[in-house]
Amino acid sequence: MTLFESLPAACFQGVIPAFIATCSVDGIPNVTVLSQVFRLDARHVALSCQFFNKTKQNVLENPHATVQFYDPVDFTAYRLELRYERAETQGPLFDAMALRIQVIASHTGLKGVFRLLSADVYEVLACEKREGFLIPAAADEAPEAVDPRVPQSELRCLHLVSQRTARAPTLDALLTALLEALEESIGFRHSMVLLPDETGSRLFAVASRGYGDEGVGAEISVGDGLIGTVARERRSLRLSNMNSELRYGRAVRASVQATSGKRELRAEIPLPGLSDAQSQIAIPLLACDRLMGVLAVESKSALGFDEWDEAFLDIVGNQVAACIENAILRERSDEATPATATDAGDAPAASVAAPGPRRRFRFFPSDDCVFVGDEYLIRNLPGRILWKLLRAAVDGGRTDFTNRELRLDASLGLPGLRDNLESRLVLLRRRLEQKCPELRLVSTGRGHFRLDIACGVELEEVV
Amino acid sequence: MQVGTRDKDRRPEVLRAVGVAVGPDRSTLTVYVPAELAARTLANLEDNGELAITFSQVIDHRTVQLKGKLVSLRRSRRNERALQERWLAAFAEQLHMVGFSRRLALRIRIWPSIALELEVRDLFAQTPGPGAGRRIEGGA
Repeated sequence: MTLFESLPAACFQGVIPAFIATCSVDGIPNVTVLSQVFRLDARHVALSCQFFNKTKQNVLENPHATVQFYDPVDFTAYRLELRYERAETQGPLFDAMALRIQVIASHTGLKGVFRLLSADVYEVLACEKREGFLIPAAADEAPEAVDPRVPQSELRCLHLVSQRTARAPTLDALLTALLEALEESIGFRHSMVLLPDETGSRLFAVASRGYGDEGVGAEISVGDGLIGTVARERRSLRLSNMNSELRYGRAVRASVQATSGKRELRAEIPLPGLSDAQSQIAIPLLACDRLMGVLAVESKSALGFDEWDEAFLDIVGNQVAACIENAILRERSDEATPATATDAGDAPAASVAAPGPRRRFRFFPSDDCVFVGDEYLIRNLPGRILWKLLRAAVDGGRTDFTNRELRLDASLGLPGLRDNLESRLVLLRRRLEQKCPELRLVSTGRGHFRLDIACGVELEEVV
Repeated sequence: MQVGTRDKDRRPEVLRAVGVAVGPDRSTLTVYVPAELAARTLANLEDNGELAITFSQVIDHRTVQLKGKLVSLRRSRRNERALQERWLAAFAEQLHMVGFSRRLALRIRIWPSIALELEVRDLFAQTPGPGAGRRIEGGA
């Protein structure tokens, strides 16, 4: 194996900026910063070309280039001698590189401005370590810990995920089991599952782990950011050094504003999840050709995830997508089954005019938004559902409901085929747990549930 | 801070510099490169003297590039070492701001070094984006 082939993958994640030198045909050298060097195979690298710059002009005239780049773990410097071979403007390499750039462009408000022109392929003529770049470390100096995760066997991880998700009785339980298993078996501490809303144009986080109360309910438009782009393109994506990539995007943004000040750029899109995430993977959950949702994990470490993690999550995603679809179909097909005592478990009996504190619920029909007290609770379809349930309980003393009646209620506006009632009920249940534990949606059998109310209820519709 | 040169066959070389000083007349610069890594760069400069120097801030990628011609080349003087140490401390601080340990950056070898004096011919904006490559008028 050559030195180039044996270089650690971390060298190619663009954590520390690399530099490329080229030379014009009239003999003037040029040096510029590179956002990332991609290793294609044993003899090739690919560099992204977003702008037709001097580097590109030079290699078209004179194909020689030299790159200096670094191992971000120990700062070892390497030097590559390259020869420009070709520019790809379509195909799998181009698509993969373009997707990464779309994500950065989307997050930094540069959609359509910052895009891949070509994936430029270079042959590697020589690769060497820059001996003497660093003063050797003292013998007693331990290398820095980069990744605190303890790897376990791939099979064990898959076994745990597979076992737990396959046994989960409901969609809610399945999503909880999935995120728990990912943390327990492989150490992914910050994870979320987002499902499409009824319009298919937005995704909402229905389950999250490692984000406190704020994760569930977070929304993002399809096409926006890493998660939205993964949903639109239906391709998984890993970003290993968000800060560095976003800095690069912001540099372009500043440059765009400086050169064409009047151009209106969109606002930056805040990243969902951790404010200080350094690495992210997002996996589309596909059942046949249908997007069931997106699984996203994050890490605060710049090298938090590698190719293996992405491949592993892809396998998990394939399985989970099928499980989500099955769970939804199962809950739906069982809707006709009557409630049984066993299903209801030991849930306390419902009461509408319960003793204890009174809570005021306000409904804003203009955006189907429900507030409890002065705090936002939920909106859109789950907001309409909650309001219907509360009205039925307060006006008619009714607390037992079925999924079927919600589905048939035209006023709720569920889309016809393939509605997403189950996932919306999961979101409603979780938001209630977090923001208003006096209200609970308790399953009383497949497709049946009860609204338990442990407080006095006051309803106000704000027109 | 990177130094670009090229050989007689127009094959380029890139090398990290470890310090810079602006000349009193503001049209010359002295750039310091680590002697141990400079063999190709020095051979290139002896052949043709063409230089490109790129300054890029790690924290926000703000980048400028200047082009020039070598005026002289010598071993750095002992009293120039302090300047290089200040550069290294500042660079380590920048890397620290983006999440890397100062300790790693402080291991960059800065001594012994070679001082390259050059006359600046052109200055270009090089921050990534559509404005990259724009000549900065009056810059040199």
